[in-house]
This record gives sequence, C-alpha cells and structure tokens, in this order.
Amino acid sequence: MIGPLSFSVGAGEFVSLLGPSGCGKTTTLRCIAGFETPSDGGIYLDGDRIDARPPNRRNVGLVFQNYALFPHLTVFENVAFGLRLRRCREDELKQRVQAALDLVGLPQLAERFPKQLSGGQQQRVAIARSVVLEPRLLLFDEPLSNLDLKLRVMMRAELRRLQQRLGKTAIYVTHDQGEALALSDRIVIMSNGKIEQVGTPLEIYERPATPFVADFIGSSNLFNGEIVANSATSTSVRTETGLVLQALPTPGEIGSRVTVMVRPENIEVASENSTNVENLISGDVEEKTFLGQDLHLKLRLSEKQALSIVLAGRTARTHNAGDRLTFSVARSHVYVIKG
Amino acid sequence: MRSTLARAGLLMPLTLFLVFFLVIPFLNIVILSFYTYSPTSIWIPKLTIENYRQLVEGSFITVLLRTLWLGLICTVICVVFGYPLAYFLARAEPRVKSVGLFLLLMPLMVSAVIRTFGWLVILGRNGLVNNMFHAIGFDRVGLLYHEPAVIVGLTNVFIPFMVLPLMASIERISPSTEEAARNLGASWFDVFRRVIIPLSSPGLISGCLLVYSAAISAFIVPALMGGARVQVLGRLIYDLLLISYQWPLASAITTLLVVATGVLISVALAVTRHSAKQEVSR
Repeated sequence: MIGPLSFSVGAGEFVSLLGPSGCGKTTTLRCIAGFETPSDGGIYLDGDRIDARPPNRRNVGLVFQNYALFPHLTVFENVAFGLRLRRCREDELKQRVQAALDLVGLPQLAERFPKQLSGGQQQRVAIARSVVLEPRLLLFDEPLSNLDLKLRVMMRAELRRLQQRLGKTAIYVTHDQGEALALSDRIVIMSNGKIEQVGTPLEIYERPATPFVADFIGSSNLFNGEIVANSATSTSVRTETGLVLQALPTPGEIGSRVTVMVRPENIEVASENSTNVENLISGDVEEKTFLGQDLHLKLRLSEKQALSIVLAGRTARTHNAGDRLTFSVARSHVYVIKG
Repeated sequence: MRSTLARAGLLMPLTLFLVFFLVIPFLNIVILSFYTYSPTSIWIPKLTIENYRQLVEGSFITVLLRTLWLGLICTVICVVFGYPLAYFLARAEPRVKSVGLFLLLMPLMVSAVIRTFGWLVILGRNGLVNNMFHAIGFDRVGLLYHEPAVIVGLTNVFIPFMVLPLMASIERISPSTEEAARNLGASWFDVFRRVIIPLSSPGLISGCLLVYSAAISAFIVPALMGGARVQVLGRLIYDLLLISYQWPLASAITTLLVVATGVLISVALAVTRHSAKQEVSR
C-alpha cells in the first residue's frame, strides 16, 4: 500500500524519486510505465490521462535496473526492436538506430550480442533502445546500481548530459542520495509510501522538511527539543539534554516541540580571537577518524548526547581522542524542523 | 584418473542393465529383420532383404504415413495447448504452480489402459458426450474408432511431455525482458512472437521431440480408441508378432521405426546444440 501521493514534473525537468528500499518509489515508476495500476487517482502526461492505457500504448521509455536487453538479438536489433514494431521503413530505421548508438557512444558494437558486452555497455544499449523511439518521457529504475562505483559516477554524469542534450523530461528512481543530488533538478523524497519532501537538491539538503529527510540526506546531528524564546533576531531551542541552541528566527509558539538539525561540516573549532562566537559547545573527543581530506570527530557532550563533527583533514594533528574541546555553530547553520 | 574411473563406475549398473535388456534385444531384432519368414518355424536363419522389400509395397506405406501424420497433428495440438499452459505455470506463484503441475502430471499416474477406458466411457456410443447430444435432441454419433478419437487420446497422455520442457525454458526468461518489450510498444502477441518463442525454442524443440517420438510409437491408445479402422505402426507390429507370427517382418518395421526416431532426435539435437553454441560464442 503506497500513497496517496501527488507530484508533478515540468517539461524537460529531471526529477528523482529517492527513498529507502520499500518506500514505494519503484511502484510509483511502474504505475507511470503501466506495469502497476493505481487503485485511485490519475496519471497525466502533457494533459492526456494515461493511467488506463496498456504499457505498450504510452510511449514512455523505461530503462531497467538489470538492463533487460533481448539476449537473442544483436545490439542493432535490440535498438531496432521498437522501430520494427512501428513498421519503420528500413532506411530510416538504419539511420535512426545508428544515430541512437552514436549518441550513447557504441557505434562500433552494433553486431555484438548483449552477452558480449560489459555492464556499462549493456546499460548504454538499454538507453539507446528507449531513446530511439523519441519517448514523451524517460523513466529510469535504478539504472546504475548494478555497476561498480567508478563506472557509476562516470555514467551518472553522462546520463545527465544526455538528458539535457535531448531535452527530455526524466523521472529517475534511486536509493542513492549521491546520484539523486548530482543528477536532479528536483528530488521527491519518499518514505513508507508517502512523499516527505519535494525540492531542489540544495533546498532538501539545507532545509529538510522533516526529521526523516534531515537524517536520510547527508549526515546530520538531530536534537529533539522545544522553543524556549523567540525574538526578531533569533529563536532559542532547548534540547532534551539541556543544550540551548540559537537559530535564525523561525515562526513557532514558545513551548512547541521541534527538531534541530546541525550538519557536521558546519561546526567549527571555537577560537579565542574570533568575534561573534555563537552556540558554544564543549565536549570530550571520543572517536577520531582520519579520512585524508576530512577528519571525523565524535564529541561526547553528555551521557546521552554526542555530536558528529567534520573538520578539514589537515587539522588532524591538533585534535586527539580524550581532548576536551569547544566548538561553535553559526546560528544560520542551526535549522529548526517542525514536529 | 582414479576419479574418472570411479565416476564411470557410477554409470555401470544402468549401462549393464540397458545393454542386457535393451541393446542386445534390439540387435537381435535387427538380425531377425534380415532372416527369412517361414510359416512353419516362424523364421529360418537365411539372410534376405525380402522383409524390407515388402515394406515398400502393400498397405504398409499407408500405415506409416498415417502414423507420422497422427504424430504430427498430436504434436501441433500439444504445442497450441501447451504453450499458454507452460507460460501460465512458469509465471505462476509457487503454490499455484505446484497444484498445476500435480494436475498436469495426474494422467501419467494412472495406468494407460485405465485412462484409455476412461475415454471410452466418455466418448462411447452410450457415453457422456453422446448422452448429452441425445438429451438436446441430436442423434448419437460414433466418436470412437476414428482418427480424431486417437488424436484426443494421444494428446491427453503426451501433453505433459510438451509442457514440462517449455515451462523450464520460459522460467529462464526474465520477466523484465517481457516488460521491456511491452514498454517498447509490443502487444501481448508481439511479446509472444518476438521474445517468448525465440527464447524458449530449446524447450519447444525438446517438447516436440518427446511428444512426436512417443506418439508415433504409441500402441495402447490407437488400439483401444482407434479400433481396426485406425491402424498405426505400434499396433501393426503387435498384430504381426502375436497374431500372424510374422516376426521377421515385424522386426523390419521395428528397426525402421527406431532408426527414423533416432535420426529425428539427432537432427533436432544437432540444431539445438548449434544454436546453444552460437549463444555461448556470442
């Protein structure tokens, strides 16, 4: 059971459906492709209602996670499959298939069979096979998750370039937040069959609408607490463990329950000569993980409360486990989430 | 070396069994087919090709052609009925599949004679079908002892041999391949023609081979449901052996039937192996 849910995608826009497995993102995509039927509501494409049409009458291109190429057909015939069903003239067919293979960078592999190709090449054939039909919409169902990391990052940039070059509207399902952030104009974050937030990658990262989004996208320190003061310049929140944090003014009654988010990379070491130091937080360094470019610290504030901090890797030498340190967070980096 | 020998040893019991009870008797039949018929002592060990010459003339050719024709019709019907069933079973959820397989295999659990008598009860002059015809005002008709009755009987017995290999082949086709075809604009008919049939062709070939070779050598069904009018090879051999005692002629027909089936199977296997090899080299 998923939904009820509603979202719209603008022409030429690249929208990702992002969420943990089982959140309903693939089911949503399969409804658009016609392989699942929504129990209620409608799906509209350029003003046409399409949800009652069989999958073969929708002209939406779907790229599958496992590529789903036809193993008995050559690359050329795989790409030509839809054109042959449409009784395309032979010379036009040849030209269009060749153009599609050029587009994905595989013009020389037309006579190979799918089994002779690498995963990345198969994925390109699958994309060419959809794109050659000039679909009204491109759907991607976790298309990169079967590829290894390096190829995934490469293909992701290529996919974005391709989509922009074709100017096609695309809906992309993924559980990989990095992919969603890198590719999308907008992201629809889903959980338990419901939409948590719709927004640009920056909006979703900086201003998550719910604690779920804050936790799911990137890493974050989340504190439950209540608003204790509200003025024109700041909102003060006291967390359950007694820490008081200043945030930018946020509408809300005094005493209302909120969640406060602080991104680990927005926490700085408090130095004595810096002016306007806000939100001083002291604690003992419990864990120190050096990752080259970054240094991850876990700061123990109290028995129940720890804080994740990301500093530049070059500061690794000056901080050691067991040290008592003081950090500060600018109030513009303390974000109050309702509820 | 030792393990190869040990593994060969595993094949020994069945090999010995087959050599003693299949290969040697069959060679005996081949030899008998070249001996001379004698009305008094059945055969005398004098080599001749007279038995094979007899096959070329007379009614044998009619029986041969009828047998091959019935086998072909039976195979075609098994394909037409078997494909949808095999597809249904291959894509069914496990519980439905196990019940379906049980129902499919049930005819094979009943003795051939009893099953055929079941058909006699249904198709006989006073059988179920005729009673129904009679009740709605039609005349009773002779459904048995014509070719269609034999075809019904043979199809009933052999359809599992078509469905099982087809089902195994279809199970190996990923459902997303079908969905990809649908997404590219294929109707169900297109999916079947352009995806399911080509990808399940190994199962189709094995199914056809099994049904065809079983149907052309069938004996009980044609004998009981076809009667004297629908003479086929299996029945002919039986009659020659046990009624007119023409063992050399019966042996010649048997040899021909076995050789024909063998050739058919080798050709079909060569074809599948060739396409399998292509598949691998791809």
